[in-house]
Amino acid sequence: MELPSIRLENVSVRYDDRDVLRDINISLNEQRIGVIGANGAGKSTLSRLLNGLVLPTEGSVRIGDLTTTQHAKQIRRQVGFVFQNPANQIIMPIVSDDIAFGLKNLSLPKPERTQRVNETLHELNISHLADRESHTLSGGEQQMVALASVLAMRPETIIFDEPTTMLDLRNRLAFQHEISKLSQRAIVVTHDLEILEDFERVLVITDSTVAFDGQPADAIAHYRQWSHA
Amino acid sequence: MIAANNTSYLARIKPGWKFGVLLVLSIALYLINSWTVLLSLFILSVVLLLTARVNFKQIRLPLISLAVILSVVFILLGIQTDWLNALRSVLRLLTMCLLAYSVSLTTKFEAMLELFQQVASPVRFVGGNPAQIALALSMTIRFIPELKKVYVEVREAQHARGLANNPLAVTVPLVIRSLKIADETAEALDARGYDSEPAAFRR
Repeated sequence: MELPSIRLENVSVRYDDRDVLRDINISLNEQRIGVIGANGAGKSTLSRLLNGLVLPTEGSVRIGDLTTTQHAKQIRRQVGFVFQNPANQIIMPIVSDDIAFGLKNLSLPKPERTQRVNETLHELNISHLADRESHTLSGGEQQMVALASVLAMRPETIIFDEPTTMLDLRNRLAFQHEISKLSQRAIVVTHDLEILEDFERVLVITDSTVAFDGQPADAIAHYRQWSHA
Repeated sequence: MIAANNTSYLARIKPGWKFGVLLVLSIALYLINSWTVLLSLFILSVVLLLTARVNFKQIRLPLISLAVILSVVFILLGIQTDWLNALRSVLRLLTMCLLAYSVSLTTKFEAMLELFQQVASPVRFVGGNPAQIALALSMTIRFIPELKKVYVEVREAQHARGLANNPLAVTVPLVIRSLKIADETAEALDARGYDSEPAAFRR
């Protein structure tokens, strides 16, 4: 699958005169990209820039030929987002209805919605959750449903914002496995350095800017060194 | 209570018919004074519920609560008026509740929302958006258990700090966390392509 390039050109984000991100210039073309950094460094803001949830104060974010400032709706169809807390991402009281929610927003006819919901549940081996009430799901199940709700929309890129923070080891490994199987581009913001081992590229964000950009091993070494300084 | 995957004969009836009959019967119950007819309707509602293949674990607690409340109503009404009148009132309420359980537990939530959207469609004429109202309704149902979880967590945390009896110490963090949930959910709605403009008004 030919994936559109994601380009951030001279991007800065400011809240109340505070620089959250400063002069970012990167182009993302790889299939697996990690983003690490300290709390408050700007990782989550960077991830939200990529599907237009946050708009740059300066510069531009381009997904292929689209810019987030002008084509946010189209970009959100191409770039899915899995949030840190899946409980707040699940909108509908029943799991299958929740997965269908995004498809309804795409105005897909009901038979196609039902088919896509069933296919996605099957892909993730969670067909048994289809009729469950959302609030009765465990943390791991909620994270899988959140992923299913994004996957059902068939995005080209999926952004994960600290997806394993609330998971135990078993669920973390299961979720890591699902990410590794994805045919889509995955951009994972995380504190969980083990996830990044097989990634192609890792960005280290410190002090509102990209401090390092390279192979996972080098990036993790840089981040460790920065953390000890 | 939400119906998940009911396969009974009641599930095959269109939601509009079920809710329509429920509405008519609920009104009719108050026009009937014969306790024998009311008893017959009550038995019919029991049969409906028993044959609707509902998950009885799901309604065990609500039924117990209903029994307790109606027992109190029966005693109070019996003392204040007469026992036959009390029996009639309790039979009406019981029949109505059992019929409502039979309908709601055999109708998919999505189908109920669609029906609600159809019924609420006249609000368009006064500038309302039935899809938005339906979404608000479903999110209310979705997030009540989440807010309950948050309340329990906050209460436990304040209890550990010796502030369990201080309503302000529970209310303030509860409100703040609720607002954070609302904020994150609004972001999730955006990320999942929700368009607050109704299809008819989209440019």
